[in-house]
Amino acid sequence: MIQDETAESSDPAAEAFPPPEPEPRPARRGRARALAALGVFGELLITLGLVLGLFVAYSLWWTNVEADRSAAQASDKLRSAWAAGPTGTPSATAPGATPSGAPAAPYAARDGVGFLHVPAMGEDYQVLIRMGSDNATLAEGVAGVYEQPYRAAMPWDAAGNFALAAHRDGHGAKFHDLDAVHKGDAIVVETKDKWYVYKVDNTLPETSKYDTGIVAPVPTGSGYTGPGRYITLTTCTPVYTSRYRMAVWGSLVRVDDVDAKRTPPPELRHS
Amino acid sequence: MYGWIWRHLPGNTLVRAVISLLLILGVVYLLFTYVFPWAEPLLPFGDVTVDGGAGAAAG
Repeated sequence: MIQDETAESSDPAAEAFPPPEPEPRPARRGRARALAALGVFGELLITLGLVLGLFVAYSLWWTNVEADRSAAQASDKLRSAWAAGPTGTPSATAPGATPSGAPAAPYAARDGVGFLHVPAMGEDYQVLIRMGSDNATLAEGVAGVYEQPYRAAMPWDAAGNFALAAHRDGHGAKFHDLDAVHKGDAIVVETKDKWYVYKVDNTLPETSKYDTGIVAPVPTGSGYTGPGRYITLTTCTPVYTSRYRMAVWGSLVRVDDVDAKRTPPPELRHS
Repeated sequence: MYGWIWRHLPGNTLVRAVISLLLILGVVYLLFTYVFPWAEPLLPFGDVTVDGGAGAAAG
């Protein structure tokens, strides 16, 4: 009888089919109750373990599914808004209102600024760029433009740092392979009318999360000494944690016009 | 706990098994839809940006 009760409290499957037991004697009733309480406690611990396992699955898998779906929709929306609007107009000088009602000024483009292409992270790597680096924005599987602690300069600005953040894991994990980007690699920002081609000059494998200088207009530690047209990609490191931050810095090489067929610049063509 | 639930489910073993499965799926759905999205920002696993520690930006 004692053996049966022990088995019952540690094994939910056994408890599911309890053996018929005789009426417990008064002396053993307290002990039986304690064992039952222990059994419930054990089941709660098992449940907690399962819930934590589910949370890992949620973080590393389900948030990617959701973010990719949401980002794909937003990307399609932006591309169709571009297609509907007049092309060939430099957005920096004459942002024309599009028939679809898209915001005229790129700064206010809630649907997205454009797309980030980094061939080093995959041949067809493309990430939607949106304003803001808050959790809600980044959770949608996009690269977010820093608005604080430094307000990032946009690619078409005369000088400044176009600083972006994205998730390393979960929520699309758009910068999961940021450590595969090395000095000399190309980073291309695609807007409605321009291809902004950057070249990576320096990388920072690990820094403190308080190191806000890495997204400054002239990023500290980047080796840049004066104002220029820079790009900074940041995410967390090592993978599956958010203990440190890493950064990739590049500077603008040239700006290409987008043609009618949106032919990508040579950096993005697969040979 | 689970034994108590099992004993209070109606029907034979097959019906109980089906109901149990539905209950489990329901709980997983609630966790993924409401509980985890609520809990995730409270946990320090998804912070990717740099800030001055003021907490104004995403941590």
